[in-house]
This record gives sequence, structure tokens and C-alpha cells, in this order.
Amino acid sequence: MKSWIRGTWVLAAKDLRNLFLSPLFYIITGLCTIVWTLVYFLSLQEFASQATMAQFGGPQGGPNLHFVVFAKHVSIVNLVMIFAVSALSMRLFTEEKRAGTMPLLLTSPVSATQITLGKFKAGVAAAWALLAISAVYPVSLAVYSSIEWGPLATSYLGLMLVVACYVGVGMFASSLTDNTVVSVIMALILNVLLWFVGALSEASPGGAANAVFEHLNFGAHFVNFIKGSLSVASIVFFASVMALAVFLTQRVVESARWR
Amino acid sequence: MSGQVASSTPSAGSAQKSSTSTAPLMIEVKGLRKSYGPITAIRDINFSVRKGEVVGFLGPNGAGKSTTMKIITGAMAPTDGSVKVSGYDVFEDPIEVKRRIGYLPENPPVYSEMNVESYLRFVAQLKGVAAANVGVQVERAIEKTDLGSVRRRLIANLSKGFRQRVGIAQALVSNPDVLILDEPTSGLDPRQVAEVRSLIQELKGEHTIILSTHILPEVQEMCERIIIINRGQIVAEDSLAGLTERMQHSRSGLEVSVRLARPSEAVTRALSDVAGVSSVRLDAGIYKVQLSVNQLDAVEKLAEAAVATRAGLLELQHQAFDLEDIFLKLTANDDQAAVAAGGAQ
Repeated sequence: MKSWIRGTWVLAAKDLRNLFLSPLFYIITGLCTIVWTLVYFLSLQEFASQATMAQFGGPQGGPNLHFVVFAKHVSIVNLVMIFAVSALSMRLFTEEKRAGTMPLLLTSPVSATQITLGKFKAGVAAAWALLAISAVYPVSLAVYSSIEWGPLATSYLGLMLVVACYVGVGMFASSLTDNTVVSVIMALILNVLLWFVGALSEASPGGAANAVFEHLNFGAHFVNFIKGSLSVASIVFFASVMALAVFLTQRVVESARWR
Repeated sequence: MSGQVASSTPSAGSAQKSSTSTAPLMIEVKGLRKSYGPITAIRDINFSVRKGEVVGFLGPNGAGKSTTMKIITGAMAPTDGSVKVSGYDVFEDPIEVKRRIGYLPENPPVYSEMNVESYLRFVAQLKGVAAANVGVQVERAIEKTDLGSVRRRLIANLSKGFRQRVGIAQALVSNPDVLILDEPTSGLDPRQVAEVRSLIQELKGEHTIILSTHILPEVQEMCERIIIINRGQIVAEDSLAGLTERMQHSRSGLEVSVRLARPSEAVTRALSDVAGVSSVRLDAGIYKVQLSVNQLDAVEKLAEAAVATRAGLLELQHQAFDLEDIFLKLTANDDQAAVAAGGAQ
């Protein structure tokens, strides 16, 4: 068991290290921060003008920092992450296949499950590193004002889970092809689709199908976290999506021996 | 290609054979078959390798060498048949087998964004080398493949020869019992080829080695046993000496070329008169003497006669069958190949 875990970590550490050694991660981070900075700046301005209006006796009291600034930031981070994570995870398997290193992994004393979990861990670690950078924006406000840590923390927990799902999907896409362009496009489409599965519930009003699609609604689960509530059902839902993606990838990796 | 009369080769070959024949079986391959849809890449491959042996896989491109090697290492599953490495079945205990194997695929499996040392460190850890030994094993692999000068360089910036050596180092780094090397000398310059050959000489005995190549002198020099594969089947399996001997028996007589400083009519006649000589022909200053009997004492008599003519004997070469002839003969024609394979078993 100990050596089993070690094998997985050795693989994850290698991927993470190679990811941080390549310019890809830094390019993606740079582009993401441009978008985040712009939107964050605008929502801060919005908050400032609402606060000024409240000073002159607006009817509804002061604006809520969490909803005006943080919730918007979280949803923009989420949107950007769909693209960023698809790009980060595109090389997980395609690069191994292109560089001819897949035989090394397949002939090493590690199972397909370990290979897949190692890649998944590396991808999640990289995606979370990017999330940590995005967390600098809200946290930096704590210097100037008092902020509600609770809902911010649950929002970020939600982001961590959702982003890990994107990694799983991206990894699965990269296991299917040895072309990085195909891999990234496939990952993007699948990740966007995740958000539209819930929309099918509207197409099937009432009945069992409606209930099923309702449960598969990414948006509905994610909104819980933004509102500051922790629901076990939502955590289990996201964990199941990751598990499914890891399982499918493991099957693809294993099947490489049979082709 | 021709070889000097070398009567020592068969005895050396048999000595090597006897030293390994008692060693335990390291690799057992039984009834291996691999089909890709309607195409059969290999069929009915059977052979076994004893501990410490160096076996050469020979065959034209596309004969199934790489496929066989991939199956032995567990990178690929066969359609049929079984492979055992030191008693473990590749499909039932793949992890145990993979712990014991170092594999160099056709293209060295290197990460170009890593430097040589950290790459080897990664492979050692991946192969399950105990944490305390990783450093020692990496040093050993670097030293054996002479990579000390580039250890901190990015693999992306290395030449093909260096990459190939990193590939070999990678196969060695876990100090495995079995080394499977798919064309270990491809892309190397002649000096590096010589170094890899001596490295393999050094490793044999300690490790069991299967290597594939289409560079014939390489097998001739390094391997104790040769397996020739053509169109997915084993067409011959024997020591080099055994193969040479068999081919010579299949031929009616020997050809000897004699180079003399002063060729003349008288000399031609003198050589024709030697017992066992069937024909003599002068070709570009070199006498091609055909012997009717396949015996070395006829060659000896011919040599005496050539000296006796006092025409200045410069060179006397016995056209032994070398590996190239064997290879060409076995892989050229299917019918002949089948006959030779029948003789081998």
C-alpha cells in the first residue's frame, strides 16, 4: 500500500514539476489575471458607487460586499477556469504519447489506476495553484475592510471542487487523442456541456427525467457554495463527477495495452 | 563480407553455451501471437532465455521484433500465448514482472523538459528503487553510459546520440534482472556504438539481455544466441557458431580466395592440382578457388600449395558464411526460411 501511494506521488510530482517548468502554466496564469483584474476592478467601482448612493439614504441600506464583488469574482474565476483548466490538462496524456514516454509508464511497476491518479493529482494541484492566485483579489480587501470569511471560504471550496471536475474531464479528453489541439477542444466542449446538462431539466418538465437532470445541474450545486451553504449532496455530486472522469480515463489508459 | 578461418569460434561458442545451460530460465515465451485486426504481426513465437544470456533479435523491419519486445515488457497484451519473466506471468503479475525489467523502446522515452539527472532520478523512483538507493543507482547509470558531462543539461538540448544513451541509462537505472533493448545503438556514432557494445559485454552475466538490431556485426559481437524473426515467425534460433555451421553444411563446398603478388598461368595450374579443388578462376588479381569438399584440411593443403608456388602469398581467405549471408538467406525466401527453421528445432 505504501509503495502504491509512492508510485502515484512520484508520477504526480513529475507532472507537476514539468508543468511548472514549461511556459504553459505561466502564460495561462498571465492571461487569467488580466481578465480577473479587469472584472474585479469594475465590480469594486460598482460597489463604491452603490455605497456612495447608500450614504445619501438609498432605500435598501448598504451594498453587500460578498454579493456585489466576491460572487461576481467567483463566477468569473469559474468561467475563466473552464478555459484555463482545459488548456492546462490538455497535455497530461497527449504529451506522453507524443514524446513516446507512454511505454516507460506502461512498463514501470505502476498500474493504470496509479498513472491516472498521478496525472489527476498533478492537474488538480496546478488548477488549485491558479485558484490560489485568484484568491489574492478578495483576500487583499481584508487589509482595507472587514470581510465575511465564511461565504468566501465556501465559495472557494465550491471552486476547488468544480475545477477538479474540469481537470478530470480535461484529462479524459487528453487520454483519447495524441493531438493537443483536439484534446483542448474536446475538453472545452465537454466542460461547457457540464453546465448545460442541468438545462435539460427545463426541456423535460415533471417526471423522473426532470428530477435526474435537476440533480445533475452544475449551476444549482455551485450556487449553494456561493451562497455560503455547504451541502453534502453537492460535495458528493462533484466528487462523483471526478470519480467518473478518473474511472473512464483509467479504462482508456488500460486499453492502450490491448491496441 | 568474409571471415578469416577461425576455428576457435565454435569452441568458444560451445563453452559459453555450457556455462549458461545450467542457469535458471529467466524468460519463457510460449505460443505468442498478436493480431491487429486482420493483420497478424507475430505468430507462434516460442523461445526461452536463461539467466545471464545475451540474446539477439534479428529480422528485417516490420518482422515483429518490437512487437515481441513490447509484449515481454507488458506494454502490450498478446492476442494469444504467455510470457513468464523469472517465473512471474506478465499478465497475472504485471507489477512483479515490471519491477525486474528495464526497457529501452525504439524511441528513447525521455521528457525533454527535464535534465538528465532529474529524469533518471524520476525513473528510478518510478521503478520502485528504495529511496536510499536512488542516488547511488542514478550515479551508476550515469557512469555506465558516460553521461557525466551532460548530467545537468536539459534533455531537449541533447543530440540524438546522447538521448539514446539517456534511454539506455533509464533502462539500467533500476538495476533490473532483465534488460530489453530495442535497437540500443541506433543514432549513435561509431565510437559510441563501440562503447555501448562494451557496456553490454560488461552487463552480461549479471543481467539477462534481449536486444534487437538490424546491424549484423553488432549481434555477431555481443550475442551468445541469435533469434532470427521474419514475417512474425522465428526462422532460426541458435548460437552464431551453430548457425554458421549449419549453413556451411547446407552448402556443397567452400570458396577460398587467394591473393598472390605475382599471379600466373603456372600458379593457376598448381592450385588446380591441389586435392579437393574443383575450379580455380582469376578475378581481378584474386584467385577464387572452389573446393569440392567442405573441409578445413583442404584449405590447409591449398595454403601449402600457394606458398610452394613462391608467387608471393599475400592473403588467403576462407569465405565462411557470415551472419549477413545467413540473415539474407533466411529472410529472403519463405520456403527456404521454413526449411531452415525446421532444421533449427
